[in-house]
Amino acid sequence: MFAPLMVEVEDPVIEARDLVRIYRSSSGIIRKRYKETLAVDHISFSVGRGELFGILGPNGAGKTTTIKMLTTLLIPTSGKATILGYDVQHDAMEVRKRIGLVLGGERGLYYRVSGRQNLRYFADLYGVPLHDRERRIQEVLDMVGLSEKADVKVENYSRGMKQKLHIAKGIVHDPEVIFLDEPTIGLDPQASRDIRRMTQELIGMGKTILLTTHYMLEADELCGRIAVINGGKLLALDTPTGLKSLVKDTSVIEVEGFGITDLEMDRVRGLDGVRAVSSTTNGSKQVMRVQVCDAGEMLTPVTRSLECRVLDVHVKEPTLEDAYLWLVEGHA
Amino acid sequence: MPRLRALVGSFRQQAFHFLSAPSWLIPNIIAPFVITMVVLLMYQEVTGSVILYAVLGGGMMGMWGNTLYASGYSIQSERWWGTIEAVLVVPSSLIWIIAGRTIWNALIGVVNGLLVLVISVVAFGVPMDIADPLMFMASFLLTMFSLATLGLLFSSAFVLTRQAGVLTNGLEFPIYVASGCLFPIALLPAWAFPFSLSLAPSWGIDAIREAAGFAPESSVWVTVLGSAPQASFILPDLAMVVLLSMVYLALAIVLFRVVERQARLTGELGRV
Ligand SMILES: Nc1ncnc2c1ncn2[C@@H]1O[C@H](COP(=O)(O)OP(=O)(O)O)[C@@H](O)[C@H]1O
Ligand SMILES: [Mg+2]
Repeated sequence: MFAPLMVEVEDPVIEARDLVRIYRSSSGIIRKRYKETLAVDHISFSVGRGELFGILGPNGAGKTTTIKMLTTLLIPTSGKATILGYDVQHDAMEVRKRIGLVLGGERGLYYRVSGRQNLRYFADLYGVPLHDRERRIQEVLDMVGLSEKADVKVENYSRGMKQKLHIAKGIVHDPEVIFLDEPTIGLDPQASRDIRRMTQELIGMGKTILLTTHYMLEADELCGRIAVINGGKLLALDTPTGLKSLVKDTSVIEVEGFGITDLEMDRVRGLDGVRAVSSTTNGSKQVMRVQVCDAGEMLTPVTRSLECRVLDVHVKEPTLEDAYLWLVEGHA
Repeated sequence: MPRLRALVGSFRQQAFHFLSAPSWLIPNIIAPFVITMVVLLMYQEVTGSVILYAVLGGGMMGMWGNTLYASGYSIQSERWWGTIEAVLVVPSSLIWIIAGRTIWNALIGVVNGLLVLVISVVAFGVPMDIADPLMFMASFLLTMFSLATLGLLFSSAFVLTRQAGVLTNGLEFPIYVASGCLFPIALLPAWAFPFSLSLAPSWGIDAIREAAGFAPESSVWVTVLGSAPQASFILPDLAMVVLLSMVYLALAIVLFRVVERQARLTGELGRV
């Protein structure tokens, strides 16, 4: 099956052309060994004004590396990217004035001072006009819901509050283009929901956003278009609906059981007519999802290859998650 | 203007950051006190102006410590905090941001140095007759400026060398000796002169001591002229401080370019 690639848009704000990034790292002090990692492998896409564009891929897919190249932190090994027409490699300062970057995580904030002081510092580094600084800081604090804790030291913040401060820091200079790298990773459901709401508010304000995630549902809920990447390669680029149509001719056999082994999974994967297999743990139970072309025909061979205790078997409609799984399993 | 904003902003940030942790009391209040006591014990036998000479050297050691450790590690600490990428992605060059910090650190260094003086006068009754208070203060200020530029140079050099820790620990004592904190440079072997004389604080402390009224026999210029200078050498001292600071600044500008370029080429700065 062919995975559609909607690469071009009119009036692009972000444009990536054949981006490649190779990391060279050395290990050992006396006898140095050099290792090359191809983190991003000829990725091209463009993002239109006001779009919320998602890059979806598992850990190590190359999402952060792509974001770092687009935000001038890393020079592409080859290829080219522009933001609002400015080249990320050669016009880095012009690009930096116009973008906001939110790299998530516990780190990246000054813990010993308050949230407001963190924001004041970055407002200075971004050159937010002095007469406007305090008003702007209050505005972003209100927007991310941190006004009440603004004068508390960051070391006393919860994980979710830190992430909100990360976002406030990334938008304090009111950039046109915002990059969010896995903004909800490790957050509780409530905080994740808050972050997704803020992302949508920013789109409502006319910002262009590029967001990376490895949560399928997040990409589905937020993004107008999604680029699926794995192993540094662009596997598909389409709307959530378009991606779902990749698996429209498939059904999913869902098997609930105890003690499904990797060996059994591989055996099912090897069956003719099976397109992708995944499993999740649900308490002590495991749930295996098997994508097949014809559920009626495959039900018996699939259940027969299992030696584990099977509790239940359902046939279901495919979801975006199945499309994603099918793509990253290497069938594009 | 945007550069000045970055500089002032990071100066203030560094100030708050510094003052927010009570641990600043130890190196900045207690250490000068200890230095003063050690110096006074070492020079128990001697009296009068020599004690002031030694106490000034002790103050200078406090100023050096801040430059080597706080400023030298100012880029590295951004890496440890994980803030380096947030700082590299702003439209201000890194050197302006780090300069704000090294200026604060140098200021604290000078406050430490002056504290050593105050403690020795107030607590230990060391006689303090500053011959030329105006020049004395001017010398302190210019020395502070040179320490800020040295801090910039160190911070970029340390981030480019893997063994920065070994380097600072190994450099600390030689620097104290070479810059005349402990005894006059002229007493050092001649091969050490080039290193001594290339350190701006060697000249800075010379000016400070001369302004305090010390006889020119102990001056740095003895190593250059072969004998003690006849007239006041405060202004030539200060000229050397400014000249060397400019050299440090020029070197730092080059090294910061290398740091920023390396960061974007290797992506290594983002990793701890
Ligand atoms: N600084 C680095 N040096 C060497 N390899 C790296 C570096 N950063 C990332 N990588 C490698 O590049 C690949 C892509 O990483 P990354 O872009 O962080 O993926 P993602 O953000 O999708 O999890 C991974 O294999 C990772 O181990
Ligand atoms: Mg990542």
